[in-house]
Amino acid sequence: MPDTLLFILVVVPFIAALGLYALRNDSLRMVLVLATAVLLTGSSLALFSHETAAFSTTLLGLNPQPLIVLLDFVVLFIILAVGLSAKHRLIIYLAGAQIVLLAVFKLVSPAEATGQAMFLVDPLAKLMVFVVSVVGSVIVIHALPYMKNHEEHLHLTTSRQPQFFAVMVLFLGAMNGLVLTNDLGNFYFFFEVTTLCSFLLIRHDLTDEAKANSLRALWINSLGGLALLIGLLWISLDLGTVNIQQILAMTPEAAFLLLPIGLLCFAGLTKAAQLPFQSWLLGAMVAPTPTSALLHSATMVKAGVYLFLRFSPAYSGTFFSTTVALVGAFTFLAAAGLAISQSNGKKILAYSTVSNLGLIIACAGVGTPAAIAAGMFLIMFHAVTKALLFLCVGTIEQRIASRDIEDMRGLYAVMPVTALIAVLGALTMILPPFGMLLGKWMAIEASAHNILLVVILALGSAVTVLYWARWAGLFMTYPFKGRIYAESQPAMTRLPLFGLIAAAVLLSFYAPAIYNSLIYPTISTLPLAMVDAVPGTSWGILVMERGSFPVIPLFLVAALGLIAAIYFYKVAGKVKPTGPYLSGAQSPDNENEYIGPLRQSILPATSNYYLEKIFGESTINRWVNTTAMVLILLMLGGGL
Amino acid sequence: MTSAQVFLALIAGLFLAPLAVGVLTGVDRRVTARLQSRIGPPILQPFYDIAKLMGKEPMLANHWLAFCSMLYLAGAVTSVVLFFLQADLLLIFFVQAVGSVFLVIGAMTVPSPYSQIGAHRELLQIIAYEPLLILVIVGIFLATGSFKIEAVYAMEQPLLFKLPLLFLVLGIALTIKLRKSPFDISASHHAHQEIVRGVYTEYSGPYLAIVEIAHWFEIVLILCLLSLFWSTSIVGLVLLLGITYFVEILVDNTTSRMTWRWMLGTAWITGITFSLINLLWLYYG
Amino acid sequence: MNFISNFIQSSRIKSPWVMHFDCGSCNGCDIETLAVLTPVYDVERFGIINIGNPKHADVLLVTGTVNHRNKKVLKNLYDQMPKPRAVIAIGACGLTGGVMREAPNVVGGVDKVIPVDVYVPGCPAKPEAIIDGVVKALELFAAKS
Ligand code: SF4
Repeated sequence: MPDTLLFILVVVPFIAALGLYALRNDSLRMVLVLATAVLLTGSSLALFSHETAAFSTTLLGLNPQPLIVLLDFVVLFIILAVGLSAKHRLIIYLAGAQIVLLAVFKLVSPAEATGQAMFLVDPLAKLMVFVVSVVGSVIVIHALPYMKNHEEHLHLTTSRQPQFFAVMVLFLGAMNGLVLTNDLGNFYFFFEVTTLCSFLLIRHDLTDEAKANSLRALWINSLGGLALLIGLLWISLDLGTVNIQQILAMTPEAAFLLLPIGLLCFAGLTKAAQLPFQSWLLGAMVAPTPTSALLHSATMVKAGVYLFLRFSPAYSGTFFSTTVALVGAFTFLAAAGLAISQSNGKKILAYSTVSNLGLIIACAGVGTPAAIAAGMFLIMFHAVTKALLFLCVGTIEQRIASRDIEDMRGLYAVMPVTALIAVLGALTMILPPFGMLLGKWMAIEASAHNILLVVILALGSAVTVLYWARWAGLFMTYPFKGRIYAESQPAMTRLPLFGLIAAAVLLSFYAPAIYNSLIYPTISTLPLAMVDAVPGTSWGILVMERGSFPVIPLFLVAALGLIAAIYFYKVAGKVKPTGPYLSGAQSPDNENEYIGPLRQSILPATSNYYLEKIFGESTINRWVNTTAMVLILLMLGGGL
Repeated sequence: MTSAQVFLALIAGLFLAPLAVGVLTGVDRRVTARLQSRIGPPILQPFYDIAKLMGKEPMLANHWLAFCSMLYLAGAVTSVVLFFLQADLLLIFFVQAVGSVFLVIGAMTVPSPYSQIGAHRELLQIIAYEPLLILVIVGIFLATGSFKIEAVYAMEQPLLFKLPLLFLVLGIALTIKLRKSPFDISASHHAHQEIVRGVYTEYSGPYLAIVEIAHWFEIVLILCLLSLFWSTSIVGLVLLLGITYFVEILVDNTTSRMTWRWMLGTAWITGITFSLINLLWLYYG
Repeated sequence: MNFISNFIQSSRIKSPWVMHFDCGSCNGCDIETLAVLTPVYDVERFGIINIGNPKHADVLLVTGTVNHRNKKVLKNLYDQMPKPRAVIAIGACGLTGGVMREAPNVVGGVDKVIPVDVYVPGCPAKPEAIIDGVVKALELFAAKS
């Protein structure tokens, strides 16, 4: 049974992708996408009912290994071909080097290693599969109406949707493979597939900007791929195995192996778009919004942080680990600062992604059970909320034709449902009792013994509040003009939004249960060097050695507060409306305007503080990138 | 905690503490008046103000303002109650942030330039004091080994001796939270009318009363945090609170309002330097 | 409930927040009004606070002549004050238009635009008279609500 599930999760998307690419019919495509989404969601949930187990078996009686080797080379040659046709030297070199090294690896790698324990279904993998399959499916469904509008807007003669959806679905399969595999060689294969998929998705619109940005994404991720491949080769030569579990079991003794682990982590940093590699993820926002949603929440960048969490036992308790924490924390702060200076909604989301992934990496670096638990919480909640916010911005963008947050001022008056969902989504990022904050709380408590780290986290946490609260408030800035009616949307646009916001709230509510069933089994079995007491739960209260977070009681209090507030809002509906205070100069016809020079009515315009002099890209980019580079060098040096 | 204790804690947190702060604000105004050679209002003046506001006609420029004022109150009350129930300090801090965020969102719902500017300045105040509060809490953790308040009460020596610099840092945060000069950037605590009271501009009548009450709860919380620094004896605690508050009033009356740039710079640079030094003492001491 | 409404009632007179609006004064009355708000007279003794925002104000002090340009502003400010509220017209100009009443652009006293509760005469009105006017207004205030 589990191997059927694995087959559905990993292989079916590949087959569906082929089908989607071949199909030219809109409704058939819709059916196929929906069917794949349902299958993926169903099997990822079904996976929870299975115990932790490793599978050396072949998939449905076939040994896929030769096929994987073949596809591995195919992917690399495609990348090489892209490099050649774009005359991009860097990509050519990186792809060429990888082809050579991969050939070497296949020649010298221990033959028996590839066959055994190919897949591993453990709680961490289950969590990741859940994030990839469920959140990913929701995004793909939301993309159906979105891409239709998108192409109508672009006036395309031949639809490019077949390719788009094929790559989207393929991406999900590759991610599932990446988190389930227990073979570092296959891990590398899936890693490269995600690189290629992201390249294809970013360049989908074929504008000059899209092409340039996709090439940037390709070379940065190929750099990561190369680092991963070198690390892989090194490890397999030294330890004679590519079985991830065996590697993890061995490394604490083999401290000299930190450098190859460091190379793996370097690959993770590029994939997770950590400073100074953030530029590819920021460039990726030229793509249609579903792509961004997928890259930022369920796939791609999560592969990077997954790598950190998966390998955390290999480096926990070392100097290297401390530097990993610093690299992550620094990105957390710097990206949050950069987000302040942005008014482009997608860019704010992108920096926020970079920032939150930094926090997750910092958790992996701290490496205590509580910190790893925080990291797992953050992965899950971040995926759900970030997917939601991207879908919101995409929906809004199609309506108001802008992604600038200043243009979203008072959006509540135009599309109240979407605006409220977006506000709630933004608040789940920063406020208790929601999951993101739970994760942040655990992260700060777990790292409180490391002074430098906790100072950076404290600053980053405050800065994060600024850019989210500002955005949430801005949606609601509207002049009072009588009743506002809910906007109409296609069901496939609205349901994903409702589903994701419900998931964000409900998963936060069930955080203690999720902790018990998924996170506790992971962190209590990880062979971490830094062991402190493993947190537990009682009565919906998460209890750590250092403190406690009453999730469910807080939810009850929050519900009470909310009921009171809603009652207040209802009562206020009868209150006499008045205009804003405009020094008494408001015009008699419209209380929201004032009489200016020449007796003209003027609508007062306000704009956010963006603090560009302090946090602007041009001001601090150079500094933060240099610092990040130094920290990464320090990290790799720590591996020596 | 037994259920009787929980009950007492709830009473203290929900009623006694805010009433005490109401009186304290009255005393504050009285002392300020004396410092300016005036007589000043009655001690109970803050209660008269609130009662009067409660009795005024409700008027709103955006109905979500009412919603946000209530959640501001809810956040502030919850954080105080959690303190009296001796919950986790960092958690209490995050819960009070809920209130501050809703105050800002409420002010932002109205497209009036005054309340918009006030809201943004309030956000800047939040990013100025939040890291400082987190660091104070981390300092308490390093001194006691736990984020729980009961660990502080288990100490034999007042925390002040271990965390003198962090106490000063808390003082900066306190000044910002009390809306006192030189940090009354987004709105002043009372009697000042610059930019028609910033973040409070659009809250009026009963809603302003709610916001004021919520602000009392916030002051309660921050004074409670202060009180942790002398948790070993009641006399020491009262003295510490009294002296600190008097110094706050003195600072308020002898300094003038500064710009937000200056505030952010001072709060972050002094605050973080002091915290780092103090934390390092603890770590290696 | 009775106790609470009584407390609110009595608090009204103890906490009048005033807003001062200069309609078209020669600044004579303004100076006197501001003098009232200085520490010398210490009106905070009575809970009086000078506030800049009609949404927070209980009492509107108006000085100067109302003309066609500023009457809208006066009306707007008055409309944004939540009830119960009181208006005090200060100085000969505020009462009737004063020395400017014959000017072509002048409407007249404040009561041509909004209802006035207390008239404080003088050119300029003395600070003591203004304080007296506020106290009178408070008495009316208590009766009104
Ligand atoms: S009443 Fe006299 S002092 Fe007052 S504004 Fe009129 S002219 Fe000036």
